[in-house]
Amino acid sequence: MSRAEPGVSDNWGQWSAWRAQHRVAMISSWRRVVARPGSTWLTWLVLAISLALPSSMLLTLDSVRQVTQGLGGAPQVSVLLHIEADSSAALALQRRVDAWPGVAEAALVDREQALAEFTENSGFKDLVDTLAYNPLPYTLLVKPAEGSDVTMVRQLSVQLEAEALAARVIVDAQWMERLEQLLRLGLRWIEGLGGAMILGAVLVVANTLRLSIDACREEIIVVRLIGGSDAFARRPFLYAGLWYGLGGGVVAAVLVWGFGLWLSGPLNALLLLYDRPAQLLWLNPQYLVALLFGAATMGWLASWWVTKRFLSRLDSA
Amino acid sequence: MIEFDRVSRRFADRDALRNLSLTIPTGEMAFLTGHSGAGKSTLLRLLLLLDRPTGGEIRIQGDRTSQIRGRAVAPYRRRFGIVFQEHQLLFDRTVYDNVALPLEIAGFSPRDTARRVRAALDKVGLLARERAYPASLSGGEQQRVGIARAVVARPEFLVADEPTGNLDPRLSLEIMSLFEAFNQVGVTVLVATHDMSLISRFRHQAITLESGHLAEAGVPL
Repeated sequence: MSRAEPGVSDNWGQWSAWRAQHRVAMISSWRRVVARPGSTWLTWLVLAISLALPSSMLLTLDSVRQVTQGLGGAPQVSVLLHIEADSSAALALQRRVDAWPGVAEAALVDREQALAEFTENSGFKDLVDTLAYNPLPYTLLVKPAEGSDVTMVRQLSVQLEAEALAARVIVDAQWMERLEQLLRLGLRWIEGLGGAMILGAVLVVANTLRLSIDACREEIIVVRLIGGSDAFARRPFLYAGLWYGLGGGVVAAVLVWGFGLWLSGPLNALLLLYDRPAQLLWLNPQYLVALLFGAATMGWLASWWVTKRFLSRLDSA
Repeated sequence: MIEFDRVSRRFADRDALRNLSLTIPTGEMAFLTGHSGAGKSTLLRLLLLLDRPTGGEIRIQGDRTSQIRGRAVAPYRRRFGIVFQEHQLLFDRTVYDNVALPLEIAGFSPRDTARRVRAALDKVGLLARERAYPASLSGGEQQRVGIARAVVARPEFLVADEPTGNLDPRLSLEIMSLFEAFNQVGVTVLVATHDMSLISRFRHQAITLESGHLAEAGVPL
């Protein structure tokens, strides 16, 4: 929105003139928006539904992510050492790996102790007794640092594989990776569907504004004829777009809140199964601000587009 | 000074103006006359940059209007006060707000706006009706609101397109006298009208167009 027109008088500066013009445009556009409550509410509702659906889905996904994060801790990485590795070399490796930044804890399983445990637990004592040597290697059980994700665990396993003593590295991360991919798919889905719905909402606002601009056609023509700039002629409609968008955002926030309330029953039942504290699916302040800001911007952009088209059509007429 | 220098406006099927040259000195009042289709409206549209000539040049106080484009058009139009045959008032605003519109556009303070709007309404005799809506006014009153709006920002030029088209002779004379009063305080006035009997009552330059040509220019005897 551009500066005030030149031609100001007395000590009423350009800044005051600009503010006064905006105030007038803001108030008059709000009056026009509320003067037709039927069509205004319809626009707000369509906009709100288009915004509330992807927002709620995003919020749900976010909650699922929170629940799964740290579920059962990060996966454990087992490193089977070469059979020739002796206890001092294995101990040295354990001490070294334990000090790595990506590692919470590295525990060494003694091969003799492992065999003894196996003999006891498996019931194959006779079979084990026939063996000429202990077939079990030293094993390093590595717990990745708190909050490690799949890629970090992968990195860690690659690092471990590079160790000369390591014969085989086993990562128990597949389920985690699957979940991660599933969540990623969900996010994509929301992005695609949400994008389409938001585009639809923009078109609804644009259409509403187009009708109201057509109704004010004469006014715009007169304003331009007596020397109003395009910015001046557009301003009330840009504000109207802002009101439509902001109103839609507020209604969307209420819808998301209601939806969260409705979902909280089954969600908390699910959380309880995972021994997680009950929580309410709720718009945090950042979400709320983003929703309102996004909605207002959408309305403004729709209006900008429609008025631009309208004015250029007037010029070419 | 308004100068038309061999101005042409050619449409696909006809020439609306052909090599038209004329001059209206600063501070003068002139009538623009001719049958409908003679080119009066085209001339006014070109002057207000609602249209562009296909040939020639229009100069305002020596400035070539062909150089005025884009964002410069709105400030250019603010140098003119414009009166329309159909008044072109905004019916959802009061008389006061209609007259105040050019000042709002130009960014005047509310105090200054009030002073000027009341002065303009007083001049056209409608000070008592400032809170009325245009729909409640008679045709002649609406036209006077239109004139108040045209002069409120004290433009250099006052341009009127058939301002008395729908008015009876007595009201027409009143409106023309108003224009003459503004001319007497230094505003350059151009009035397009086909009402020859009205023109003959004033001693001002009359520019007569005929099929896009200048047929006659001079003071009627």
